[in-house]
Parts: sequence; structure tokens; C-alpha cells
Amino acid sequence: MTTPTWDEPGGPLPSEDFRAATTAIMANIEQVIEGKSATVRLALAVLLAEGHLLIEDVPGVGKTKLAKALARSIDCSVRRIQFTPDLLPSDVTGVSVYNQETRDFEFKPGAVFANLVVGDEINRASPKTQSALLECMEERQVTVDGTTYELQSPFMVIATQNPIEMEGTYPLPEAQRDRFTARIAMGYPDPRAELAMLGGHGAHDPLSDLRAVADAALVRRLIATVRDVHAADAVQQYAIALVTATREAPEIRLGASPRSTLQLLRTAKAFACLEGRDYVLPDDLQALAVPVLAHRLIPTADAQLNRRTTDAIVAEIVHRLPLPHDRNRSPYDTRNTGGAQQQYEPRGH
Amino acid sequence: MTGPRRLGLVAAGATLLAAAPISSIFDTWKWLMMCLLVVGFIAGAAFAARSLRFPTWAQALSMIVVLLLMLTWMFPSGHEFLVPTPSTFGHFADLFTQAGQDTRSYAVPVPDRDGLLFVTVLGIGSVAIAVDLLTVVVRRPALAGLPMLAIYSVPVAVYIDSVPVLPFIIGAAGFLWLLVSDNIDRVRRFGRRFTGDGRDVDVWEPSPLAAAGRRLGVIGVAAAVLLPLAVPTITGGLLSQLTQSGAGSGNGVGGGGGNGGRINLFASLSGNLTQSETVELVRLTTNEQTPFYLRFGVADQLTNVGFGSRSPSGQAVAAGMPDPRTATAGGNYQEFAADVKVSNKLNQGMLPVYQNTVAVEGLQRGWFYDSNQQVVYSNRNSTKDLEYKFNYVRARYQPADLRQAEPLAPDDPIVRLNTAHPEDPTVSALVTRLTAGKTTEYDKVRALYDYFSSKNGFTYSLSTQAANNSTEIAAFLKNKVGYCQQYAAALAWMARQAGIPARVAFGFTRGDSREGNTYVITNKNAHAWTEVYLQGFGWIPFDATPSAGVRGAARSDYAPDTELPASTAPSTATTADPSTAASGPAGRVERPDRPDLNDPGLSGSTATTESGNLGRTLLIVALIALVLALLLVPALRRVLLRRHRYAATVPRVTALPESQTGRPDVVVTAETTKAREDAHAAWDELLDTMVDYRVPLDPSETPRVTAQRLINDAVLIDESATSATLLGTAEERARYARKPLQGGELTAALNHVRRGLARSATRRTRLTAALLPPSVLMRWRLGLADSSAKLVGAGSRFRDILSRFSPRRLLANRGR
Repeated sequence: MTTPTWDEPGGPLPSEDFRAATTAIMANIEQVIEGKSATVRLALAVLLAEGHLLIEDVPGVGKTKLAKALARSIDCSVRRIQFTPDLLPSDVTGVSVYNQETRDFEFKPGAVFANLVVGDEINRASPKTQSALLECMEERQVTVDGTTYELQSPFMVIATQNPIEMEGTYPLPEAQRDRFTARIAMGYPDPRAELAMLGGHGAHDPLSDLRAVADAALVRRLIATVRDVHAADAVQQYAIALVTATREAPEIRLGASPRSTLQLLRTAKAFACLEGRDYVLPDDLQALAVPVLAHRLIPTADAQLNRRTTDAIVAEIVHRLPLPHDRNRSPYDTRNTGGAQQQYEPRGH
Repeated sequence: MTGPRRLGLVAAGATLLAAAPISSIFDTWKWLMMCLLVVGFIAGAAFAARSLRFPTWAQALSMIVVLLLMLTWMFPSGHEFLVPTPSTFGHFADLFTQAGQDTRSYAVPVPDRDGLLFVTVLGIGSVAIAVDLLTVVVRRPALAGLPMLAIYSVPVAVYIDSVPVLPFIIGAAGFLWLLVSDNIDRVRRFGRRFTGDGRDVDVWEPSPLAAAGRRLGVIGVAAAVLLPLAVPTITGGLLSQLTQSGAGSGNGVGGGGGNGGRINLFASLSGNLTQSETVELVRLTTNEQTPFYLRFGVADQLTNVGFGSRSPSGQAVAAGMPDPRTATAGGNYQEFAADVKVSNKLNQGMLPVYQNTVAVEGLQRGWFYDSNQQVVYSNRNSTKDLEYKFNYVRARYQPADLRQAEPLAPDDPIVRLNTAHPEDPTVSALVTRLTAGKTTEYDKVRALYDYFSSKNGFTYSLSTQAANNSTEIAAFLKNKVGYCQQYAAALAWMARQAGIPARVAFGFTRGDSREGNTYVITNKNAHAWTEVYLQGFGWIPFDATPSAGVRGAARSDYAPDTELPASTAPSTATTADPSTAASGPAGRVERPDRPDLNDPGLSGSTATTESGNLGRTLLIVALIALVLALLLVPALRRVLLRRHRYAATVPRVTALPESQTGRPDVVVTAETTKAREDAHAAWDELLDTMVDYRVPLDPSETPRVTAQRLINDAVLIDESATSATLLGTAEERARYARKPLQGGELTAALNHVRRGLARSATRRTRLTAALLPPSVLMRWRLGLADSSAKLVGAGSRFRDILSRFSPRRLLANRGR
């Protein structure tokens, strides 16, 4: 076993090392993307949560730049796919080519065989091509001509897309959207950041100066650290309550999947870890609910007519949903002081 | 059979059931046969009219015609055959008059008198028509209860005290039957009933709305039963009874009627006296040589219809009774003791005692003493089979004493209450003539009293009409024949005419048989006499009834027997105890013009008012203290809660145990458990404090956000802000982290936050937080709501279980 597999990511890092490594990565990216530290942090959290990132915004706000900056900050294999309407699935996954010398078919790996895959303008490719990513994103493997090829670890797809109202775009199918852990919007930079950008980018491309501050092995250890973050039962219940609420919301036709629950908790762990905690707070879930859940939901026709975005609906759910904790219970109430396993979450339910 | 016709028959049946109370009026059941026939024929007529699809007015007319025909057939005048003629109606009018006379002359139960039967049949028939029309035509069966109630009111009016309950239940059952039939008919008109899943619903199965109806019904019945209990009254229908219970020919019909319940003063007096048999009522032993009359009731309301009683009001006998001696220097009062044994025949709410009773023993709770009427009464208990002892004082007055009495001021409440009288020319002329030239109050009363003598032609006879209203008193003064009722009322009336407060007292004479010191008092000893108020002496009894007619009559020095020679009157006592007679004048002359001090009623009442005032003040103070204490309970609870939590959050420095190496998991040790509990206690306290200071709570907020918002909203600064953050962090870690925050100064932090909150709050908020902490109140309210919801849930589960065994459902299942 020469290369570590996904399931053996290496040992977790001490919190100081973790902090140093993540701070370095974020600082590196922020050299390119000014004034977007929250977005950068979220992107990093998705990476550490072993997820995939969808950056959706109008053209020209730095989507691709963020993706490339993240890729460059980590010293690992990076492939880029420019999704065009005529892109074929085999361009993404790879193709078997007949080798004259060996008189046999030989597999030529596609663009996804890398640690970081930057898919630019993903919704400009046809749904046929978009679907080529389904297997590799969820199962981290590619099956071509009956042969399954494992992908490297870490593996992350960072895709950018224009909002679907833009011309020449194909909306991502639900299955594809559900495979992205989080969708983030760049948003316009504030005037100061834009000024700094003018000053910096005017002379040269800062991206070209960017050097890697981490390698794949380090990232694997970072991921291992994140996996160790503690999520109390109350937090897990809250995550389930949030997801259930999207399924039960009257304005939503298709709620969030169980996969999204898992990804929400994973991202929350990464997020907590980035904040220097070894335990997840409901605050993390609240902060992540919109980026992680909103892009998966399909609003009802009514909600669409009312111009209710899924972002707003999820935000309202977060605002409305009580924490799984009985505030009216007195600490001297004997109802919940039963077994030892309940002692660390004495206000569950 | 269609709905209206069936309903008409039900209405007839219900009317017959509602007629059940009449059974207590009549001696035999002849009335029932007649009513059955009449109601049956009326129902038949209605049925036929509806079958022939007559319009409603024709239906009503047919019923009225049938009633008329039935009456003609049952009470013929002899000049017609079935069809009523003018002579028939003349006969009916005669029957009416006869019925009016019968009601005066007969006591219940009455024999089958034609007049009474006619009125009964006419009444029941009319009610049957009314019920039928209200139920079938107007479709308001609830209103049909009114005519039914009219039937029930007949025995209520006749029996003053206890009305038999069974007839009422029968009548009520009839009414309910009517209501139910009407409702079923209503439901049937909707067609078949289904549940949501298509199951056929039986007509008898209650609708879900029935629960609300049941609840309302229970509340209504409870209110109807409880409210009258809270208002103490005795039978106030005395006035209306005066015309009905004439003293006329007793004829023995009244048998034991008069003894049935509480005595209705005038009416029962005549009833007792006219009764043919003699019944022992009271057996009394006293150590007084010559006792006066036993006394239990007073009639002091004189209006156009005669003397009537007021409901007595006063305080419990156990609380003590006024002693007339305490107001005077004593001396002319002598105390005596009496033992009373009441037989089971005397069943009333008024206790026979002597005047000026100072203490009663052997009574259960519920007996009260009215110091104005000087009667002992109870609204619940009865004298039946009662045995009790009482102490009383007796004063012997001489005419000379009483002449000292000055007239009361005209605006004195006693004068205003006890001199009101209707104007009657005969009385006023007579009083003016009799009292001419008399200067003192006593002499005036004596002149009136002396007038009722045999010299003036007054005789005693039981066979007269009651003399209470103004025409009757004139008749009595003209005929000069009557018994104690007339004499007592007339003297009191005339005294009032003379401006002297007077009233009629009821009780028993000393009785005619005597065994040593024991007097046996029977119904024949029932008596009424006059009481006159003389300033300084109180209520002085005067018995104007000729003593020849009264068995066991007694006379006093100041009001000697009018039949005796007048010379004995002003002399020294003939019957009274010499010692009291001797000391009497002296004690009396000393303070002749002391206003009202000797009046037992008034002085007693002032004394009781004083002690009552003190007691009442104490009671009020205690009540206020109790209310205050109750108001302080939430605050107390809050303080205790806070102390408890503070005690739980005392910081303790403990060596943080290093988490074991390897896979880190939730650390569960005694210290961390304690730290978690501390943090929770502190957090709960913080939340309660926030509620107290009206900082809103949001259940969707995390501890961190809550603490941050608290800092922003309440403008916490410096220490309190960091404290709030600390509390939030502690709670957050206690809830979600592997290791809780240990060694934090949570108690100090709580105090800081509390102070910070108090600083930024208004005074009112601060006060409320301290005195009526909203957190405690809210928790109680939530707890209450919670438990009541649980109760309702349990109730509905229980009902579900019960309904599983409902015979209706079982039957319905078998049917399918």
C-alpha cells in the first residue's frame, strides 16, 4: 500500500498545527481574493469536509479565480475542465484507446483524475456531460468500459456556474446539485476591496505568484482532524431537525436528502475546526444551513411565483426552528437525569 | 308516522308527566282520570287535524274545541247535551268562584271538589294545548317547559316549605323526553348520518358537539344549585300566604299538613290552633317560677297586605349573644336556665327560646341570632328532635318604671322600621280617641291594650278570618271576635298608629299541663302577641288576647289582665317575684332617661357590632396579610431558586483531568458532570433573569447568540458583558463540547449580568422582577397549561376506552 487511500487519511493534527496550516491556506487565497474571507473560509471548510464546491454567481466576480487560487494553494494534482456545450462525457472521465503496439485497448484517464478538479462554467455543458461527474463526485471512482478506477485522495470538484437565468446555460440536474456539498455566491466586493484589487491586479496577475502552502498529505491530515471533531447528540438532532424542516416546509416541493444531512454535519465539523473548536455548535449549523441546503431544494410553483428563493426559505427555517433543548426545564427536574450516557447532553429532546 | 304527529303525541305524554305534581294537591286520583281523558282527546284532535293537513290555526282551534267539549261533558250544568250553552259558561263561572272559596277553606290534600277539579282540568288542558303548539307548530320545545313549570308552581305555592321531589322528577323527565324527541326529529330531517369513512351513525349517537353541550349543562346546573346556597333566605312567601291559609273551617282536613315543615308564622299559627288533634311540640324545664311565653318569630313588616316577616340576619350563636345586663348596672335582671326538648312534630328553622336569651348550648353549627328580631334561626337546620339548654334573663317591670320611657326621636331607625303602617280611617279614629289625654308612651299603649277587654265586647273565637290587612282589621274592630292573631296584629297596628314602635311576636304560651318545673307545650299553645318598644326598656311584650281563650296565658304587672279589676293594676306585683319587684323601681328610676342603654336589642347589637368590628378588622388584616403573602410567593420562589442555583454554581478549582490519549471522546467524570450541571444551572438562572427583566427569549437562538443579543439589547458593558459571554460559553461547552468549561466564576458572572440588567431597566421592570418575577409566573402558567392538557388527554383516552364498551356501538356492530 504505497499511496494512502481515502479511508486512511493519516493521523489528525494537533490543534496548533491545524490552525497554522489552515491560516496559511486562507491567507494565501486571500492574496488573490480580497475582502472575501467568509467565502474563502467556507470554501476551505468544504475541502476539509471532503465535499465539492459549487460557486454560483454572475460573470466577472472572481469565481474562477477563487477556484484556481484554492487549487494552487495546495500542492497536488490539479486539472481544469472548461465546460462547453460540445464537451463529451469521455473528455471528463477518460476513454479507452486502442493501442497499436500492445494491440489492446488502453485507458486514457480523463480530467477528473486529479486531486482538485476545477470545472469552469459547468452549466454550459449539456446535461449528458454534466452527468459524467455523478459517479466520481459521490463514489470517488470512474467506471469506463466495465473497469472501475479509483480516484486520488483528496478529491474535490470546484465548479463555477452562472445563474441559470443567464443565456446559454443548462440547469444542473437535481442529482448533480445534490452532490455538491455547498453552493456559495461570491458577491460583489466592497469598494475598498475593489480598490485594492485594482492596485494589485493592475500590474500583474497575483495568481501567477501564488505558491502552494500545503500538499495532499497535509490536507489528508487536516481532513482526519476534522473527522475527529465532536458533534454532540443535541447538535446531530438539530441537524436532523433542520433537514426535516426543509422536507416539511410547505413552500418546498423537494426537501433536502439524507446525504445533505451528512454533508451538513461534516461541513459544520470543518467549520468548527477552522474556528479552533473541537466540537460543533448549533451556530455552525445555522451558519452553514443556507450554503449547504438551499441549492438542493426545489421550491413549489407558488413560492417561485412569489419570488421566494430557497435561500430565503432556509434562512427562515433556521430562524424559526427551536434548538433541541427544553428551556423551560428546571435543572432540578428529575425527568432527564437518568443514565450516564445522558449526562453530557442533559437537555436533549 | 311523520315527525309532527309523533311529536304531538310526545307533547301530550310530556304534559301528563308534568302534571304529576298535582297529585300532591288532591286526596284521590279522580283528577288524573279526568286529565288523562282531556289530554288524550286533545292529542287525538291534534293528531287528526294534522293527518287531515289542517292549517296550524285550525289545529289549535280543534284542540280548544275539544277541551271545551270535554269540560262541558265532565262538568255539566244540566241544561245542555255536549254542546256548551250560555248556561254552561255561567256554570263554569260558578265553578271558578267555588274553586276560589275552596282554596281558602281547604288545606291540602283537598277532597274532590268540583270547582278545584274544574280548574285543574282546565289548567292541564290549556297546558297541553300550549305545549303541543310550542313543540309542534313553533318548534320551540324548550319554551314548552314554561307551561309545564306553571303546573309545578301550584304545589310550590301551596306547600310553603317542602315540596315533594318525586313529582318534579317525573315532570322533568317528561320535559327531557320532549326535548330529546324534538332533537331526534330534527336530526332525522337531515337524512342519514355518516362518518367520514362512510360508517352509518345511529340517531342516538351523540355528535362531537355534544361534549360542549354537556359541559355547558354541567356548569349551568352547578351554578343553579350553588348560587341559591350562597344567598341565605327563609321562606319569604309569608305575605302571599296570608290570603290562602284562612283560619276558617279547619274540618280536620288539614291533618298533619301544618307540621310538615317550617312554621309559616300566621298561617301555621291558625293551622296549629284549628287542628283537631293535640300534638306535643316542646317539653321545657325552667327554674323560673312564672315564665313568660316562649318565642321564636317576629313579624314586623306592616304593609297593605298585613304583617309579614323579614328574613332574619345575624351572627352565629356560637359567637355569643348580647346580654342586656352588660349595658346596665344590673339588679333588676334575674338569670334563669331552661332545658328544652323538641318533639319530632315541630320542624322549623326558628328556635323557641325566651326573650333575652343570653346563651344557648347544645346546638350544632348553623344557628344564628338576629339581635334586632331577637330570634335564633337557621337556614339549614331544623328544630326537629332537638335538645338544647339556654340561659336567659328576665326583668320585671312595674307601670311606674315604664312611665319613665321617653318617646323616641322620629328619625330613630327603630321608629322608622316599626311604625310604618297603612292608613286606615277606622284605626286612626279609634287610636286618636283612646290615646287622648295620655302623655307617656306607656300610658298610650296601656290605653290601647285595655281597649281589648270584654267590657268593650271583645271575645275570643278561633273561627274568624285572619285580620291583617286594612279592611280585615276594620272588620275585627267592628265584630270584636277573634283570636290571638287578630288581637296581636290589631294592637301592634294601633300602637304604630300612635307612633310607638310595635311588632307581632310568635311563640308558645306556657302550656296547660305542667309537671313540676316542666311545661308541656302543644300545638294548641301556639300564640301571637304584641311587642312594643319603649325607650330604655327595649321590646316589652303585651298580650291583648283575652286570657280566657288562651291556655297557659301569662300576664305581667305592667299589662295586667283586662278582665281583672283595674285597681290591681298599679299595685305591687301579684305574680312576680317579690325581690325583683322591689328592686325594680329603684334601679329603674335612677336612670330613667338613659337612652336605650337597657334595650337588650340595641345595646346588644352595638356590643356585638363592636366586637364584630374588631373581629372583622382582624379578619381583614389577616386576609390582607394572606393576600400579600400569596403575592410574595412568586418572589420567594424566585429567590429560593436563585439561591439553589448559586449554591450549584459555586466555583471550585479542580485539577483538569487530561483527556485520555487515543480517540478523544466525551469526557464523563464526576468533575465534568458537576461542571456541566453548574453551567446549566447558571444558564437557567440567566434565562430566568432575562425573562424577569423582559429581555425576550428566542428558542431558535444558540447560547452564544443569546448572550450576544443580551449584551446588545440590554446594553451591557464591561464586566457584565464579559460575564454574559462567559455564561454563554460555559453553557455552550457544557452542552456541546467534549469537556465543559471548568473553574469559571459563574456566580459572580450571574451577579454582574443581573446588576447590568438592573442598571439599564426601568424602575417598573426592576420592581416587577423583584416582586412578581415573570419567570416564575410564566413557568407556573406553562405548568398549569401542560397539566390541564394532560388531563384533557387522559380524559379523552378514558372516554375512548369507555366508548369501546358502549352498548350502542356493540349493538351497531352486531347489526352489521
